[in-house]
Amino acid sequence: MNIRRILVNFIFIIVSFILQTTLFRALDFGGIAPNVLMIMTSSTAFIKGDKAGLLTGFFCGLLVDIFFGTYLGFFALIYMYIGFIVGKLHIIFFSQNVAIPIMVITISDFVFGFVCYILMFLFRTKFNIGYYMQTVIIPEVVYTAIVAIFIYPIILKVNNIIDEKEQRSAKKFV
Amino acid sequence: MSPIIRQRGEEFTLPSKYLLFILTILCTALIVITFNTNLFTGPLNSFAGVFVVPFQKGITICSSYIKETTDKLASITQLLDENERLKSQIDELTIANTNLEQEKYELTELRELYELDSKYSDYPKTGARIIAKDAGNWYYSFVIDKGSDDGIAIDMNVIAGAGLVGRVIDVGPDWAKVQSIIADNSAVSGMVLSSSDNLIVTGDLELYRSGYISFSKLVDDADKVSIGDKIVTSNISDKYLPGILIGYISTLEDDSNNLTKSGTLSPAVDFEHMNEVLVILQVKNNGGN
Repeated sequence: MNIRRILVNFIFIIVSFILQTTLFRALDFGGIAPNVLMIMTSSTAFIKGDKAGLLTGFFCGLLVDIFFGTYLGFFALIYMYIGFIVGKLHIIFFSQNVAIPIMVITISDFVFGFVCYILMFLFRTKFNIGYYMQTVIIPEVVYTAIVAIFIYPIILKVNNIIDEKEQRSAKKFV
Repeated sequence: MSPIIRQRGEEFTLPSKYLLFILTILCTALIVITFNTNLFTGPLNSFAGVFVVPFQKGITICSSYIKETTDKLASITQLLDENERLKSQIDELTIANTNLEQEKYELTELRELYELDSKYSDYPKTGARIIAKDAGNWYYSFVIDKGSDDGIAIDMNVIAGAGLVGRVIDVGPDWAKVQSIIADNSAVSGMVLSSSDNLIVTGDLELYRSGYISFSKLVDDADKVSIGDKIVTSNISDKYLPGILIGYISTLEDDSNNLTKSGTLSPAVDFEHMNEVLVILQVKNNGGN
């Protein structure tokens, strides 16, 4: 990881957090906003592998924790593990095809919602899982998937550009 | 790649599973530390103030401007009709107003008599704009554009219009986080205004979609409380100043223990269309500190 990639990823994370809390909050459907940070984490993990995934997830979650978390590190942990697991798929699938990453992002957002339900609601004896599925988890997953169709290609393209530049500067050394 | 650089690179790479392990321990440590103390809030909050809050402010101003303009254009015809209706209503209200004026005069007289001057309209307040809402869809907290530089501190009460919105739970140099009373993880000690019976108001995600919040543990042996009664913050609350309007009772039923009652209330504040709030610059005095 060179300095350029770190900087670009940092900007990406900040931008997606800002968009998620402002723009997409204004464009919500029935009070549900898409999870752009999850798109960011999953796509980076899918394109660059588990290490990049878990680092991106960690910082995305940390940002959420600073602003909206009750305990620092809670969301960081969830995002980080999702990034790590998605990153394991990097070796198996091609990142150029759009369909599979969107599927992966959708599933990871579903898992995220489910884990959030278990940790934040089930543990406080709120058992009405059908209701939470219907009103929060599923709408968020659908909206996130739709937004991901537009965001994933951008992340992929930027990553490809950085890859090319990295290779070029490596060649210069030889 | 030259072999020298590659070797050096490999020396410094940490396998991802070890990194995951280290960060997991770090996160767990952070959770434990923040659970017990508030050690990190200072530096991290100023980081957020530098990198994130200015952008959030800008975008929120732009997006709310765009939304307002579209809403304006969409509702012009509706407004014309409404204008007619409201004009006739003004006349009725002027009459009502004069009556109320008289009553208010009477009230101030009586209040002076009883020296009851701690109504919440007298608290020092400051206006703030909401610049960001919760990143997840589970809880309902938001960020406002004023912080410790403007004299805001943790546990200050936040109101909008006539009713209680929530309280400040975290504060940075130029931003503050507000937990609202409709959030699933919040609870307020309230009181029925007419009978002074205490109850607990809790936010509930299941009811929130239909515009209600729930309350419980209302002791009402005399059956004096009825639907439509005002609920205000109670005198015994740790965090909330007394007498701030929370909402109106909309359903009421007996609990299975036959001692207490519970039900739902409709909040006095419209949480969906809230852009600006007022922060009361006074923290409840609990005697102890």
